Parts: sequence; C-alpha cells; structure tokens
Amino acid sequence: MMPLAIAGIGVCATGMANWAQAQSALLSAASPTLDPLPRLAPECLPPVERRRANATTRLAISAAMQAVEGLLPEDVEQLATVFSSSDGDGEVLASMLAALAQPQVVLSPTLFHNSVFNAPSGYWSIGSRSRAASITVCAGAASFAAGLKEAQVQVRATGRAVLYVACDAPFPAALASFARGALPFACALRLVPAAEAPPGHGGCIDLSVRDPGPQAPEIPVTELQARFSGNAAADALPLLLCVAARRRSRIALPWLDGSRLWLDYQP
Amino acid sequence: MRPLSIAASTMTNACGVGTRAVQRALQSGTSGLRRNDFEPAASLATWIGRVDAVDASRMPDAFAAYDCRNNRLAQLALEQDGFMTAVRAAALRHGADRVGVFLGTTTSGILSTELAYRARVHGEVGSGDALSPEHYRCRHSLFATTEFVRAYLGLRGPAATISTACSSSAKVFAVASRAIAAGDCDAAVVGGVDSLAMSTLYGFHSLELLSRERCRPCAVDRDGISIGEAAGFALLDPQAEAAVCLTGAGESSDAFHMSSPHPDGAGAAAAMRAALADAGLAGGDIDYISLHGTASRPNDAAEDRAIAGVFGAATPVSSTKGWIGHTLGAAGIMGALTSELALRLGWLPATLNCVHVDPAFACAVVLQSRPMPLRRVLCNAFGFGGTNCSLVLESAA
Repeated sequence: MMPLAIAGIGVCATGMANWAQAQSALLSAASPTLDPLPRLAPECLPPVERRRANATTRLAISAAMQAVEGLLPEDVEQLATVFSSSDGDGEVLASMLAALAQPQVVLSPTLFHNSVFNAPSGYWSIGSRSRAASITVCAGAASFAAGLKEAQVQVRATGRAVLYVACDAPFPAALASFARGALPFACALRLVPAAEAPPGHGGCIDLSVRDPGPQAPEIPVTELQARFSGNAAADALPLLLCVAARRRSRIALPWLDGSRLWLDYQP
Repeated sequence: MRPLSIAASTMTNACGVGTRAVQRALQSGTSGLRRNDFEPAASLATWIGRVDAVDASRMPDAFAAYDCRNNRLAQLALEQDGFMTAVRAAALRHGADRVGVFLGTTTSGILSTELAYRARVHGEVGSGDALSPEHYRCRHSLFATTEFVRAYLGLRGPAATISTACSSSAKVFAVASRAIAAGDCDAAVVGGVDSLAMSTLYGFHSLELLSRERCRPCAVDRDGISIGEAAGFALLDPQAEAAVCLTGAGESSDAFHMSSPHPDGAGAAAAMRAALADAGLAGGDIDYISLHGTASRPNDAAEDRAIAGVFGAATPVSSTKGWIGHTLGAAGIMGALTSELALRLGWLPATLNCVHVDPAFACAVVLQSRPMPLRRVLCNAFGFGGTNCSLVLESAA
C-alpha cells in the first residue's frame, strides 16, 4: 500500500519524557535507568482542562504535542487524529468501580466524562482547537498495530497528514489481578504521504497484513522493550529503535489471533 | 465514497429481538421504554430500554469465557434475521480472512466487573475467574465483544473496536469503508453493542442528564435521556446487491467541551457537510434526517441549529430514542438501521413521546409516522469528547 513518512515524532514514557531522551535510551548499550515521569501538565490545555484531564489523557497529549512541534497552530487544527489504546485509563476505572461498590453511589461528573475511551481525543481537540476528524480504536494486544493501520488507511483515503497517538498506562493496585503492564508509555507519529515527506523526516513506513514469508528476520526483544511488557502502546518500541538508529528493517507487530502485521521501515 | 451495499443487517433493542419485531413496534407506535427495573442501579428514578431476552439467553460452552451481558446481547442479535447465514455466505465467497469486523461499544462487558468488584468489596466470594486476566480480556476490555463476535462468526479478517462514546457505531461504517477501499478486506461486518451498566446509569445521573419519564426528544418539556441497551450489525459488501447502500460518511470534533455540545452545533454541522461531500450530494438531496436526538436539552437544541444551518428548515427530521432509549455505543448503528428500514418501507418514523416541539426549534420535527417515498437519508451520532459522525444512506432502487 501507500508508504507513509514520519514527519513528527513524540514519546512520553517512564525514563523517556521526550523523543530525545527516548533516542538515548534506545541507542544506549547500557542497561537503561528509567526515572518515573513527573505529573504531566500539557501546556496546550486550558488551565481548567489541564486540572480535570485524567492521567492517560495527559500522557497521550504530552507525546502528541512533541509530534506537532514547529507546526503553525492552523496546521495543527487541520490534523486528523487516530488514538489507540488497549486498556484506556485504569485509574479512572478503579475510581468508578470503588464508587459504584458503595451502598450510596455518588459518582463525580468529571470522573464519568473522563471515563470515555476517547477522552484523550476530546481533550486534544479542545487543546489544539481542532475540529478535524478523530477516532479512537482498541484491538486488545493488537491495539498499536490496529491504530497504525487505521492511520495509514486514513492518509491513503484523504491524501492528508494524520497524527497517530498510542497510549497505555498501568492499572492501580486495586486492579492488579488484571495483570496489565507496569509502566506508562505513549508515542505519537505525525504521518504524511511519503511523496510529501518534509526535509529531515524520520523515514518511511509501510504496513501489510499479508505475510511476506520466512525471509524476514525478527528484531530481538531489547531489555528496554521487556521493561514495557504488557503495555500495548509500547509495541512502538522496535519501530522507534529503527528510527533512532536509521536502520532499514522489517518489524513484526503483534496482530490478531497471535499473528503479525508487517511493518517495513526505510530511513 | 464508493457505494457500499448493506447486504444484510439485524437489530435488537428494547422494541424487540430482531429487525422484524423492532419494525412492528415502530409501526404500531409502541415504545420499548419502561420504569427502571435494572437491579444493579435500581435506586435511580428513570426509564430504561431493556432487552428482556438477554437475561434468559445463554452462551454456548465453547464461548463460556466470554459470558457476560454485552456478549449475550451480541449473540442474541447475531442469531436474528438470517444474519449468520449471510455472513457465512460472504466468508465463503471472499474467504474468512477477507471479511473484517469493526464494532462500536462504550462500556463492553464492564457490568461483569462492576458486580465482581462490588462483591469483592463486600467480602463476598466470587467465582474463581472474577477479575482475572481472562475475565478482563474476554468480558471487560473494549475489544472483548469484537473478539467474541469475530470468533462466533468464524471470521479472520482485520478487526478493531471503535470507542468514541456515542458516535462509536456510526464511525464503524467509515472505518469499514476505508478498510475495503484500501484493500485490507473485501467485505466487513460492522456493528454496535452496548448493554445496561452501573457506570453509565449512575454516570449520566451524576451529570443530571437522566429523564424522570420516558425521554421526549425535541419536546419543549424534554428533561433528559433514557438509557437503553441494543446490538445491531450490518454486512457491508460492495459486490452484493442490496436495497440500501452507504454512500457517505463525515466525521468531526467539537473542540469545545468534554460533555456538552458546542451550542451552535458547529462540529455537528461540519460532520454533516463532510458526509454530504463524501456522498457527492447537496443538502437539498436529503429526504429525511434521523437525529441523534437524545432528548438532553442542550444536545437537541445544538443539533437543531446545526441542521437548520446546513439543510434549512424543510427537511423532515425525527429521533427514535423515544422507542429504544439512548443506546450509547450502539446508537450510531440503531440510527443507521432504522434509516435503512425507513428507506426500504418508504416510511417516516415519528419522534415518539414528543407532543409539543420546542418552539425555539427551526427544523421540521416529524410528530406522526407517515408513508413517504425516500431516496436519501442522513443520520447523526454525536458523543462525549465532542465527537461527531454523520452517514448518508441511499436507496439503490
């Protein structure tokens, strides 16, 4: 299908507060030290929304802001967005469940509107003043690939740039039995038709549901990647490693039924 | 967009199990809403659209891990109107790996977690798999129902859950049309499934958005929504002959507020204009508009202004929420499938429970169901987060 160019990139995760830090961590030979993220307060949100926004929303938007750095506000307004997550916001879920378990149920209206899966998209639209189309997808363990596929298909359909944001975060102790990932991770890719790749872009990607055959060597799981195990959004890490290393590669993304979606990367 | 045939469809909601039962209730003017008798949220004085048959239905042993209210509702709906047979035929024709599944939901099987969590807090011993990783994946997670439906239908094509609040199962049509156009699949099952849950009933209560009576969309005395549960599915196949085709989809965001619509419906108007442009039509080409029409005071007013701005005041409009309630993640496909029905029958549904239209409204709200030949219908679905989606359906005849 039509290849896409990575015109902007953002990362916000434990030990990787931005793309520059992520590149260092990805390329470092040493065992990564991963500092916890501070409380995030994305500047693009009006103060009231910045206070109200839930943690995964602030995480997703912190990555998204990096991927549109240098763009004019009117160009950001025009950007269609695709968000993906496997699990949404576990903190909000746990707070809702705790409130619903009380004999007298009292739910906060803000908690309820933050519980929608498309909360990051809604806050992003407010923060960027964007009335462009936005969609939020989930496909369990295949969520990162499903969102990237949707972004690719949208660029193909419209010929215009799409901002893709993948975000997942740990569940609190009350929901530890769900056994989700232990560390938060969000990444954002601003994708444009390859023919319109700006100078200094991050390389080109193409995605295929068809198995290219046994010739594709798999990229070994790095120690960094292993630390983010269970976080579906962190399936972006092999791609980010190849972008950081400017290394041509074929990446197998977790897809449906334990199969793979093939991602070709060309620096 | 390239016209996409609705080769088969089915819907189950408070008005009935299967499209034929729903049609009977619509044509006889019988609301499916009742006083809230949903035990987990019984303290709320509101009306709901409940599907009784879900309580009695059972999942096959092979799918025991998926057993929850949302998946039971999905299964119940899939078994109606010959839908399974139509999907099997499509899978044979195209190959099971060439048929996609794209479903909308807002809460999936969260009720099962709400009940298990409550039991745990109160020290009750739940079943062994309550709140296990398998419970999360198969019942609770937003992908659970899509994974179940895909397995139940034996399909292996691309799949995703779309969860954009109450526009979810309108957006599935746009997603499927793009996936088919891109060659990722040849046909797709789209749908929406949302079932009654404590989170949504108490959540809308916290926002003071629940009506104390049957919801009354567009009425001067409307006082909020009635929450319903529903499942609907459509098989989209560009190669199939069908009475009704999807010919346009438009999406937009409000950029205004998380739970209130833009007062002038600016985002909604943008979605409607985008859908018309996608279908290659002008406002005057649309014979009827199926409203999102939830009966919330600000939502209905904003939608009225948006429609008046795009279409003028002459196009007949109505909402079916008075029959089935606001079915949240299933609302988009309920609107699409009642629009399909209206096109096939040449019939306009009334805005049930609305006696006196809000005098501030400009649009021509249909108060009495009536026969009317229809060629082209636009339907709206809007949601929290300021998400908007409009679809255009056209009669193939």
